[in-house]
Amino acid sequence: MKWWPVRGITRHLTEKSSYELDSSVKPMNNIFKRSLHIYMIDVGNSNLLNFELKALQSTQYNTHRFGIYFSDSPRHSDLLIVLGKPTEKMITPLMNTIKQMPEPFGILIVEEDEVFDLKLPNVVGRLKNPEPSEILGTLLKIMGRN
Amino acid sequence: MKILLGTFRKDDEEYYIVQEDGVISIEMDPQDMYIANYSLAKSRDLIVVPEKSVKNGEGVFDFRYGPVTSGIGEAGVYHLYTYGERILSVEIDLSYKHRDIVKRMIGLDPEHGLKMAENICGNFAFSHSFAFSMAVESGVGKIIDSKSQRLRIIALELERIYNHLYVISQLAQAAAQKVFASHMSYLFEESLRLNKAFSGSRYLKNFNKIGGIKDFDDGKIQNLKTNIQKIVNDFRDLYDRSLVSGNFLDRLYSTTVLKVQDAVNFGITGPTLRAAGAKEDLRYEDKRYDDLKVPIRNDGDALSRMEVRAEEIFESERIILKECEKFNLDVEKSNDSNKGIGYAESPTGTIVYKVDVKNSILSDLYIVTPSFWGFNGLVNSLTGNVFTDFQFGVESFGINFADAAL
Repeated sequence: MKWWPVRGITRHLTEKSSYELDSSVKPMNNIFKRSLHIYMIDVGNSNLLNFELKALQSTQYNTHRFGIYFSDSPRHSDLLIVLGKPTEKMITPLMNTIKQMPEPFGILIVEEDEVFDLKLPNVVGRLKNPEPSEILGTLLKIMGRN
Repeated sequence: MKILLGTFRKDDEEYYIVQEDGVISIEMDPQDMYIANYSLAKSRDLIVVPEKSVKNGEGVFDFRYGPVTSGIGEAGVYHLYTYGERILSVEIDLSYKHRDIVKRMIGLDPEHGLKMAENICGNFAFSHSFAFSMAVESGVGKIIDSKSQRLRIIALELERIYNHLYVISQLAQAAAQKVFASHMSYLFEESLRLNKAFSGSRYLKNFNKIGGIKDFDDGKIQNLKTNIQKIVNDFRDLYDRSLVSGNFLDRLYSTTVLKVQDAVNFGITGPTLRAAGAKEDLRYEDKRYDDLKVPIRNDGDALSRMEVRAEEIFESERIILKECEKFNLDVEKSNDSNKGIGYAESPTGTIVYKVDVKNSILSDLYIVTPSFWGFNGLVNSLTGNVFTDFQFGVESFGINFADAAL
């Protein structure tokens, strides 16, 4: 029988430790240097951004080594990632989610081709069609690590 | 067997889009065999309800899951009617993701229409683009050069591979198979990178155009051959290991069963239908795919769906390598499709576009997506399962809200 753990420990899949930066993003608050908990909300993207966020959680990027975790509730999170342009019905759920975020918090807007024209509080950055390495670089900048 | 995929009206006549033995045809006379999902096809309601629904009873309540929850990830709502453990009935609300795309596409020129079609569902971008361009091209009788045809086939199979890797990685995650899930997520990201090296986009967008493929450097074929073999060989080893992992298979076996007759009645196509035992694939009747071996299973459960997807990855690898070998040869003439109709076998099932172009502007449009029918199959197969099986049902169908709610 082929045994899992042997395969698990014999390969090193994590890649480089520094990522390209987006200079327009500002560090959020110096208390997040070693830990950032993220909640992502899809408000109407084409599922492509959901896939990119899933790809960010793959082994190559290994976000846990930086203390970046994806949480299951906005109440446990420091940063809200908004994916896509809101559909009509998602505006209220989005606003309600923002109300549940504990202070201090930030919002990172991730867009596709369609631009987002809603006014949201505490926006720390905007990304357009980013790749996972770009998102990770931005998160590190927000944490103040880069 | 005939599968009704959609119905539209034109000049006061009702037309039916029907799939039978790998061929899409337009019929005018409805027949008993596909009357089962006629009303669903006609109304295309964004609230998906099961055939038999149970909402009342002792302790039965509506467990609302979504639209803001980490478990689903997308903007959509599942109403699970339950008394605690067993799911008695499910309703799915697709309307949160409704972007009114069809209305916005009408009036655009075909080039912009193609861009919108790619943005309907990011992870089926190439299948949508393939079907849309085929519909426009067949409408004006445009002949596509052999190289573009081969590149389109390769891109369609690349899309299948990364979507299947994603689904299996999600199933592994749902079953808490940490090592398997990590390695699968690694392969998923590698396949996206390969897409970028091959087409310039991780999701194969902006690669296709009306009338062919955008500029392509033939030197990339060698890189594609090496890397696709590397990814699929790696997957083969992982998959063999997963098939001897009893606690993984136990979670999938006999979970969310969909029988073949029900699948046909709900307009299900793709791996979900093949996992229920039907030999139905649009690629069978396409002369460009010779000796295609598409896997079939009979149980119709989550395990069968995973096995079908896994074996399709091996078949896709074979198709890609074969196309690379024959890259500079002419292709056999493909079947003539109906005018203005284009279709593709996407990773989850049949996508059909019916397009009318007048004065270089899209004047009418009808889109069939596999996820809409997938959700109809899902609400019926989830009934009677326990709560903890929910994730396996949802993930193994490989469907998403973006594709279902246009």
